[in-house]
Amino acid sequence: MNDQITQIRAVGQSHPRREAREKVTGRIEYIHNLRLPNMLYGKIFRSTVAHARIVSIDTSEAAACPGVDMVLTGEDIRKIMPDPHFGVMFHDQPVLALDKVRYVGEPVAIVLASDPNVAAEAVALIDVDYDELEPVFDEMEALSAETFVHDELKPGIPEIQFLKGVRDTNVGFPYQLRHGGDVDKAFEEADRVFEHTFRTHPSAHVPLEPPVTVAEPTGAGLTLHTANQSPSFVRYEISRLLGWPQHKIRVRVPYLGGGFGAKLWIRLEALVAAAALLAKRPVKVSLSMEEQFYTITKHGATLKIKSGLDKDGRITARKCEVFWNGGAYADIGPAVAFHAGMTAAGPYDIENVAIDSFSMYTNRPVAGAMRGFGHPQLIWAYENHTDMMAHELGIDPLEFRRRNILREGKEHATGTALNTSSVEKVLDRVAERLQWGKPFERGEGTVKRGRGFAIGIKASIAPSTSEAIVRLGADGSATLMCSSVDMGQGSDTAHAQIVAEVLNMPVEMVHVVHPDTDVTPYDTGTLGSRSLYHMGHAARLAAEDAKAKLEELAAEVGAQPGSNVPIWELFARKNGMPVGHVVGTASFIPDGHIPPDPMTGQSPHITPYWMLGATGAEVEIDTETGRVTVLRMINVADTGTQINPKIVDHQISGASIMQLGQTMQEKVHFDFGQVTNASFADYKIPSMLDIPQIETSVLDGAEADGPFGAKGVGETGSFCVSSAIANAVFDAVGVRVSEMPITGETVYRAMRAAAGEPLEEE
Amino acid sequence: MNAFELALPDTLAGAVSLLDPEDPTIRVMSGGTALMLMMKTDVFHPTQLISLRRIEPGYSQMGLLPDGSFRIGAMSTLSDMEHDDALAGFAPVIRQTMKLLSNVRVRNVATVGGALAHGDPHMDLPPVLVALDAQVVTISPEGERTIPVAELHAGYYETILSGNELIKEVIIPPQHARRASYLKCTTRAVKDWPALGVALTTDLDGDTARDTRLVIGAVGEKPIRVAEAEAVIDGQILSDKTIAEAADAAAESVETIEDELGSAAYKTQLVRVYVKRALQQVANQNA
Ligand SMILES: Cc1cc2nc3c(=O)[nH]c(=O)nc-3n(C[C@H](O)[C@H](O)[C@H](O)COP(=O)(O)OP(=O)(O)OC[C@H]3O[C@@H](n4cnc5c(N)ncnc54)[C@H](O)[C@@H]3O)c2cc1C
Repeated sequence: MNDQITQIRAVGQSHPRREAREKVTGRIEYIHNLRLPNMLYGKIFRSTVAHARIVSIDTSEAAACPGVDMVLTGEDIRKIMPDPHFGVMFHDQPVLALDKVRYVGEPVAIVLASDPNVAAEAVALIDVDYDELEPVFDEMEALSAETFVHDELKPGIPEIQFLKGVRDTNVGFPYQLRHGGDVDKAFEEADRVFEHTFRTHPSAHVPLEPPVTVAEPTGAGLTLHTANQSPSFVRYEISRLLGWPQHKIRVRVPYLGGGFGAKLWIRLEALVAAAALLAKRPVKVSLSMEEQFYTITKHGATLKIKSGLDKDGRITARKCEVFWNGGAYADIGPAVAFHAGMTAAGPYDIENVAIDSFSMYTNRPVAGAMRGFGHPQLIWAYENHTDMMAHELGIDPLEFRRRNILREGKEHATGTALNTSSVEKVLDRVAERLQWGKPFERGEGTVKRGRGFAIGIKASIAPSTSEAIVRLGADGSATLMCSSVDMGQGSDTAHAQIVAEVLNMPVEMVHVVHPDTDVTPYDTGTLGSRSLYHMGHAARLAAEDAKAKLEELAAEVGAQPGSNVPIWELFARKNGMPVGHVVGTASFIPDGHIPPDPMTGQSPHITPYWMLGATGAEVEIDTETGRVTVLRMINVADTGTQINPKIVDHQISGASIMQLGQTMQEKVHFDFGQVTNASFADYKIPSMLDIPQIETSVLDGAEADGPFGAKGVGETGSFCVSSAIANAVFDAVGVRVSEMPITGETVYRAMRAAAGEPLEEE
Repeated sequence: MNAFELALPDTLAGAVSLLDPEDPTIRVMSGGTALMLMMKTDVFHPTQLISLRRIEPGYSQMGLLPDGSFRIGAMSTLSDMEHDDALAGFAPVIRQTMKLLSNVRVRNVATVGGALAHGDPHMDLPPVLVALDAQVVTISPEGERTIPVAELHAGYYETILSGNELIKEVIIPPQHARRASYLKCTTRAVKDWPALGVALTTDLDGDTARDTRLVIGAVGEKPIRVAEAEAVIDGQILSDKTIAEAADAAAESVETIEDELGSAAYKTQLVRVYVKRALQQVANQNA
């Protein structure tokens, strides 16, 4: 403001993360460390069977255990929540199991005690009698199974009410898209047709801080202190379950020890809220690392993809069928089927497209949102498919993509014309960085080297809402109140930079209030790389509003426009002392969204912005063991203007490392519904030694309608890693892996099979 | 976690006296790295843990004995072994192995006694000590006895130690000019418990191999000495042909077990490849 010393620009600089020092010195607030007076600890009793009717639950021994305050079952929850089913799309998930259990690990009862060890011991004394039902675990089997995870679909939100009353199916939600003309006819007329099936496996988010919630009854209302990415939704959903007005629920979220989608919507909040109200005392539940594996996973999927090509190697028709293994409850799975389904045909210019994308119910733990929201799975399929076709046709994969790529102005399969040339640019950039077409050292002896790349596209979700408040104080500082959750992605820093830029003040003078629904206004949630664009705009607009109000104040107290009366004096003239505030507000919903036609998925304006990425990989393979070492990874991203280049770099490399783990190492193993590797001892996320040299390459150019030209980048680095590596493996040793993780054994087996000497199976 | 008692005896003999061979819920704890994992995963519920942390300091020491062998007290940590220069001079393969074994936090607390008594086949040190022909000295109410490490392990998480018998020290005989190598193969991440360990020691007299000890760890229920492959090697020059034959012999004779680290067939291939590479490494070492 006018009493500022000159500063470096707020936007576009790598300002240090504002919470970094507090974090590394162990001072930051995590709910994990929260202890309230008189607080009880809850320990969850979980189902040991995958699918069964509950005959009886005997909690008497646990309740009699010295030190136990209460034991609650699903029927107890009904006393306070008349219909205790929650869910962001379907109201299908019971707070505690009622008549049935639908997966191993499903919460059936909860023990409350002042000592968490007592609660844990008492849980072992609960006895449940089950009448077991046939389970179904595989998404393809679920399609034709005679056993049904749910007797009847329970749609929640208005958009899916057409599914109300649908019975005897495991298809939770069917998404379809039809673009162009008759796809079947186009296949008939095609010169060549290729069809491939791919699978992806369930993996786990494993934030280092597992889900944790404290609920605190407060006289008339209830406060939830929780590690959650969507505090506004939590308030809405808990009030719906309790039948209370929203203002009686307060949801507070400090920092998160990682989220990645694991902490969206309702995790523990409904259970802990009910327990606290029934116990009339604060209650805390913190999950163990093991319990996390039973709480939320990333979708495994089966992906069928078929393309018809003309004689010039142009794709004229594409059919995609995707089956998402959603586990026992819908969570956000239907939106994954919908949203990822939209771009299942990839960033290609294809005249005739048919996509069917189904979210399937199975007797596995719930699959939900995870960084990339289904796109890494899809891109795994379509970018392997692209290289496989190029190989069959004898066309260089780069040239083949150039022939088919979606150029600026052309219609994407959703019917929305592409407003950017970034698809071409990410492709060009990754090819350039790999020096594609130039000689490449291919290794010798038992070491073979190869390289590959992939490109991918994602639409930002729409529509969604962000509200913000910016308060300007007499001391010249600003306070941003918003419900975005900083879970490590640096949103506090970036949003503060935006406010500082508008108000022309040092970034350090902007204070960010963490989500507290009594104070911070509504936001859809911290998900899908949406915060920087949506909350960025809201913060910008609220700051502009505050600035305008300050100018009004200046006029009111007689300061000449453009004069250098300091802020404190403006307030002092008004309030007698240098105290007081002006408050700016804003609500942002991107303009112009047109919901897609439910039958065809077509919309002339489907997304506020596209996210585009490419990854190039160089690998080395030990031909005697199949072991793949990724030597180099190049992640290209279309980020728009970088509000904070360092954070952008870390988001892109971080997302790519996460996807690298899932590509090379991570898989949740199930044995009849039971997770057999539910710990870091057996579920191996990448360590420093597993991470190759990583380069980030960002396209120049602003996002037309973004705040200061920016847009979200939290997921882009995850898109293309898997298929780039698979394509590099093929380049090195000439074998195609169709499943992940790409372990030494997977590749060795593929090599032996290709050589006609398959390794014996167990 | 259920409640348990913790005892902190001052002497090893005192620790022995607290054990009850009839009660497996009473156990000693040295570094605790293996025990804590078992307790956290609900595999082991102790009623009493006997910490060896306060026993006589001599059990945390190591050094050359007058007869030329090397003694390592059971409470020596893996880091102690990694950083002891006398041990590195005596048997360089131990320091090399430590660099591959877990991480510095675990090595700083895990002990050699725990590493040998734990009996998990997915460990690095046991096959190395078998290849070095080491022995353990144990103590129990019946007195002391000496057991070759090669005979210590009875099966999956099983040793031949009786319920009130503790490892006191490890003795490695003089290695003279013997060459040694340890190769570790992990399959899930670079740093992991071994899917396969190949430990090899041999006398290369001129170019002819003698008295070879080839030990395969992690693929079976316990470390496996491969006499069939040793027979191919002993008396031979380590030519490419001999090495290939020995590798095939090892792959054929070692029975591998499928687990989350790999299928049996794949592990057999790993045995072939890593035995070959271990032999090549030994052949190329400067004497
Ligand atoms: C994260 C992690 C990674 C690891 N990675 C590896 C690896 O890559 N390679 C590898 O080889 N190992 C690895 N380990 C295993 C580690 O080497 C063992 O946990 C360790 O050797 C056990 O030693 P400790 O002293 O901690 O034993 P403890 O946990 O104290 O005891 C283990 C067992 O031995 C018994 N015991 C202990 N001392 C004696 C004694 N003196 N006499 C008789 N019985 C005794 C105990 O009663 C118990 O049954 C890893 C461990 C962890 C936690």
